[in-house]
Amino acid sequence: MKWIGILFALMALVIGLVPQFTNCSAQGRAIQLPDGRSMPMKCHWTANATPVIAAPLLVAGILLFFSRGQEARRGLSLLGSILGFAAILLPTWLIGVCANDEMVCRLAMEPTLIFSGTVSAAAGLFGLFLARKNPAGNVD
Amino acid sequence: MDVYRFALRNISGNPFRCLVVVLCAGITAGMLLASTLILLGAGQSLSKAIHRLGADIIVVPESAAAQVESALLLGHATNAWMPAAAVGQAAVVPGVQAVSYQIHLATLKNASCCTVSNMFLMVYDPETDFVVTSWLEKNLGTGLGLGEAVGGSNVFTPAGEKNIKVYGYPITLRGNMEPTGTGLDSSLFLTLETALEIARESVIRAEAPLVIPEGSISTIMIKVRPEYDIGSVARQVAARIPAVKALAAPEMFQSQRAELEGLRNGVILLLVITTGFSLVLVGLVFSMALNERRRELGVVRAIGAPRSFVFRTLLVEAGFLGFQGGAAGSAITILALILFRRLIIATYGIPFLTPSLPMMMILIAGSLTGSLSGVLLAALIPAYRISHEDPTIAMRE
Repeated sequence: MKWIGILFALMALVIGLVPQFTNCSAQGRAIQLPDGRSMPMKCHWTANATPVIAAPLLVAGILLFFSRGQEARRGLSLLGSILGFAAILLPTWLIGVCANDEMVCRLAMEPTLIFSGTVSAAAGLFGLFLARKNPAGNVD
Repeated sequence: MDVYRFALRNISGNPFRCLVVVLCAGITAGMLLASTLILLGAGQSLSKAIHRLGADIIVVPESAAAQVESALLLGHATNAWMPAAAVGQAAVVPGVQAVSYQIHLATLKNASCCTVSNMFLMVYDPETDFVVTSWLEKNLGTGLGLGEAVGGSNVFTPAGEKNIKVYGYPITLRGNMEPTGTGLDSSLFLTLETALEIARESVIRAEAPLVIPEGSISTIMIKVRPEYDIGSVARQVAARIPAVKALAAPEMFQSQRAELEGLRNGVILLLVITTGFSLVLVGLVFSMALNERRRELGVVRAIGAPRSFVFRTLLVEAGFLGFQGGAAGSAITILALILFRRLIIATYGIPFLTPSLPMMMILIAGSLTGSLSGVLLAALIPAYRISHEDPTIAMRE
């Protein structure tokens, strides 16, 4: 179970940090309006939202690493799984990324979030299974 | 107690050892799968791109030969032109069966008049073409009319729209070609008549007009008579037409092939090092773990378990861990390769095609077998040594 906690923490760091450097605004790109002003692209808002998922996932990972109770492990695994799904939904459905396939957010940020989200969600579901399977509490 | 239950109990008793073995097996399987998928997919992709271009010889402007090759592979239009008169010069070379030409254009970047930004447009002449037309007749039954186009496998009409806008001109997508894994999958193939119409209309419909330089073309496509050697015809074509390079199909994408060769050597070296380290580490972990469990295994032997039981239990343990690691490593590798495919293509400039599902299953089975046999091999010597030890000595120590 401890390794799932470590995995959650690692994925949380990836989800929280990588989008900050791989969104189009970080690369100096913005939408130029006809009146001369510039506006951030969609991926900028997705990158801004990722710490909201990464922070609780990091906390869940740390707590899971130290927790011993089955109930707590079940709850934290479920939480990690839900946050993983949320990380997938951010670039694909909730906010989105730029439309152009060649933009850095499409090439790096979107796949990173989907990858980390999938790994977190799968690990969380596996943790849930492990915590259910051994009610005695010896699941390490 | 049967061997499997005993092995599973042992596994749950030492999580750190298991994690190390699973990680090593996962890394071995992942590396094996990733290298095979990338190298196989890249080779397939280059072959399919040559097949899609469909000509025995492709003539390109000499000054921009490498650029044009890379552009064809990655689906970017280049600003390299040659005189249309070169088509007539190529046609009279002995051994040439058919000659056609193409004009390479692109949609505008980030313009509202183009549905897709910077899309590669491959314009062909239906009267002479032997590449796109034959595909159209085979798959759609007819050629393309005015305002119609066929796209690569990634081209689609946006949801809720009836057409794809190219310089403000509505294009009807008639069909999609098979995937090649290259930029051709995101390209649009249209007739010269349609391209000229788009250029004419773009003056009033688009943010910037489409300019097709008069009397200029991008590439010449040549089909060679079966009895002639493609290489010698290519040399004759290059000798007859000034400032061009004639690329025979088997020699195409040489720089990409060289890059692929370099990548292959690097990957093989990395694979050997990683696998070697993983196997040594697994062997070491098993040796240490079995040393710790000598007394425990001695007791098992003393209460009547035969040597073969202990030996089989240890190998089943290794097998379970190897399989778990291999499966996890393969799953993560497949997910990463599918998600980061475009990033890898953009970074290395080598396109690769994701293999078909049956091929993928074979490769996964291969990498699983590789990691499983690696872990079993690493565990074999410590398991044999401990199972053949005298139980009284093992218990005393």
